[in-house]
Amino acid sequence: MSKIWVFSDMASRYPELLAAAASLGGDVNALVIGTDSAKAFSYGATTVTQLPADESRMIEDYVPTIAKCVTASGTPAVVLISATKRGKAVAAKLGIALNAGVINDASSVKGGDGVTATHMVFGGLAVGTETVKSAVAVITMGSGAFEPLPEDAARKGDVVTADFVPPPVSIKCLERRAKQNSSSVDIGKARRIVSIGRGLKAQEDLAMVRDLASALDAEVGCSRPIAEGENWLERERYVGVTGVQVKADLYVALGISGQIQHMVGANGAKTIFAVNKDKNAPIFQYADFGLVGDIYKVVPAMTALLRK
Amino acid sequence: MNIVACFKLVPEEQDIIVNGDRTLNLEKATPKISLYDLNAVEAATELAAAMPDSKVSALSVGGKILENSKARKDILSRGPDALYAVIDPALESALPRETAAALAAAVGKIGSYDLIICGEGSGDLYAQQVGLLLGSLLSVPVINEVSKITAGDGKVTVERTLETEVEVLEVPLPAVVCVTADINTPKIPSMKAILAAGKKPITVWSVTDIGASTGGAPVVMQSILAPAQADRKKVIVEGDSDDKVAAFVESLRKVL
Ligand SMILES: Cc1cc2nc3c(=O)[nH]c(=O)nc-3n(C[C@H](O)[C@H](O)[C@H](O)COP(=O)(O)OP(=O)(O)OC[C@H]3O[C@@H](n4cnc5c(N)ncnc54)[C@H](O)[C@@H]3O)c2cc1C
Ligand SMILES: Nc1ncnc2c1ncn2[C@@H]1O[C@H](COP(=O)(O)O)[C@@H](O)[C@H]1O
Repeated sequence: MSKIWVFSDMASRYPELLAAAASLGGDVNALVIGTDSAKAFSYGATTVTQLPADESRMIEDYVPTIAKCVTASGTPAVVLISATKRGKAVAAKLGIALNAGVINDASSVKGGDGVTATHMVFGGLAVGTETVKSAVAVITMGSGAFEPLPEDAARKGDVVTADFVPPPVSIKCLERRAKQNSSSVDIGKARRIVSIGRGLKAQEDLAMVRDLASALDAEVGCSRPIAEGENWLERERYVGVTGVQVKADLYVALGISGQIQHMVGANGAKTIFAVNKDKNAPIFQYADFGLVGDIYKVVPAMTALLRK
Repeated sequence: MNIVACFKLVPEEQDIIVNGDRTLNLEKATPKISLYDLNAVEAATELAAAMPDSKVSALSVGGKILENSKARKDILSRGPDALYAVIDPALESALPRETAAALAAAVGKIGSYDLIICGEGSGDLYAQQVGLLLGSLLSVPVINEVSKITAGDGKVTVERTLETEVEVLEVPLPAVVCVTADINTPKIPSMKAILAAGKKPITVWSVTDIGASTGGAPVVMQSILAPAQADRKKVIVEGDSDDKVAAFVESLRKVL
C-alpha cells in the first residue's frame, strides 16, 4: 500500500487534494506549513505533518524537508501537490530529490501497479495517459479534478512536526508584492460565461461585452491573447488548456476563432453559442448555436433584446 | 555572458490528423519551434544584446525532427550565435526526465555557461518540468514563471509572476530560468538575419557523444488519444440582420 502525501502552497486547495488522495486508498498524510491541522483533518487527512512556518522562506525551500519526510516513511509513495505555479516548481525539485517520476496538471489519477495519471498534450488535441514506474510518484493535480469530501470537523488524527532542512542553493527574495490586475474570480464555477477573443478591437470595447454579460447574469471570460499579450482582462478569466476549464451551463464565445487550445477549456459547457464574422471559423464546429456576423453589431443588439 | 536557450521542435498542431480510433497521425505535420520557446530564445537574445561579449547557444535534444534544415535555420535567424543539437533515436519521444538528463549532459559538453533559459512548456507535452529538472540535475538555482530578467554582476534579478503575487528574486549565476510567454514579444527575423543564419555553426552530437545515459525512465507514456468530441447541435445562421439576431437571442433565452 502506497504512502500518500499531499502538499499545497494554497490552503484552499487542500480539500480537493485530500479527496484525490483518499481515492487512492490508504492513509493520507497532509504536509502543512504552520500549525493549523484542523482543516486538513476535517477534509480527510489521517496524519498532519507540520512544517515550521517562516515568512522569509520561499515555498520551494521546503523541498528538502518534504523529501526527508517522504524518504523516512518509505516507499512506495505518492506525493500529490496542487498544480499551481509554485506547486510545479516543488514537484520538479522533489522529482530529482526523490528520483521520482513527475506528472503535472493531472486531470485524473489512479493507483495500482504504479500511479497512472492523465494530462493534456498537443495543446489539448489529445490526452496523454502516463504511468509512473519509480518508487515515488509526484503528481500535481489540476483544480476541479476531484470533488472535496464533505467537511467533518469532528475528524482528528496524529500531528507530527518536521524539522526544517535548509536547501543547498537558495534564491533570495528581494520583494513580494500583490499582482496588479489579478482577481479572485473563479470562472471555473460560473454557470454562465460570456467570453471574448481577439475579435475585440480595443480595451474600451469591453464595455459592450460586460453589458451583455450583465444582461445574462454571466461572468466575463476570454481567450488567452486577451488576458496575456493584450492584458485587457485578468489571467484568471482566460479559458483553455493552460487557462480555466469551465463547467458552465452557457458559454457565449464572441470573436473567438475556436482553436483547440481554447476549446478544450470551453467544451465542458453544456451549451455553446458563438458569434464570429468568419463563417469558416473552427468555433462553429464546436457550437450549438452560431451566428455569422460582426460582434460590434450583434452584441449590442443582443443586449438590447435581452433587456426588453 | 554565456547564455544557453533551450528549445524543442514540435509537430505543427494544425497538420495533426486525428484518426478514427482517436490516435494522432503526426506524419504530415511539419516541424516548428515550440511556440513558447520563441520567448526563451528572444529573452536570451535580448539579454545578450544588453551585455557586452555575450554569446547565445541554442540547444535542443530529440529525434530525427532535428535534422530539419528549415527549422535549424529558423532558430538561428532569431539571434543565437550557434546551434547545438543532440539527435538520437533514444530521444525520439523522450519524456521530461530523459530530456533534462540529455540537456544536462549536452550543457556539460558545450562548456561553461552563466544562464540557461527555457520556455514555460513545450507545445506537444506541455509538461512544464524540463527546465526545473535541468536546473536541479545541474545543482544550480532554478526558478519558473519568470516574466522579466535584468542582468547584474554574477547574478540576475528576475520577476516571477505567480497566481496572485509577483516575487522579485536575486538569482546567483550559473542558473536556469523558465520564462513565461509574456516576458517579451518574439521578433520576426529580418531578411538579413535569415541570410546570416545559414553561416552560423551547427554542432550535432549523439547520446554517446555527450555521455548521457538513457533508460531507467521514471515515467512511461501509455497512450495519446484525442478526447471524444462533445455532440453539438451546430445550428449556424449566416448574417447579422435584426431578425437573425432576434432568432439567435430566442435560442439563447430557451437555455436560460
Ligand atoms: C501550448 C499552447 C497553449 C495554449 N493555451 C491556450 C488557452 O488555454 N486558451 C486560449 O484561449 N488559447 C490558448 N492558446 C492559444 C491558441 O492557440 C489561440 O492562439 C488563441 O486561442 C486564439 O485566440 P482568439 O480566438 O481570441 O484569436 P484569433 O484566433 O485571432 O481569433 C479571432 C477571431 O475573431 C473573429 N473576428 C474578428 N473581428 C470580428 C468581429 N468584428 N466580429 C466577429 N468576429 C470577429 C475572427 O474571424 C477570428 O476568428 C495556446 C497555444 C499553445 C501553443
Ligand atoms: N527536447 C528538448 N530540447 C531542448 N529543450 C527542451 C526540450 N524539451 C523541453 N525543452 C525546454 O524545456 C521547456 C519545458 O518543456 P516541457 O517540460 O516539455 O513542457 C521548453 O519550453 C523548452 O525550453
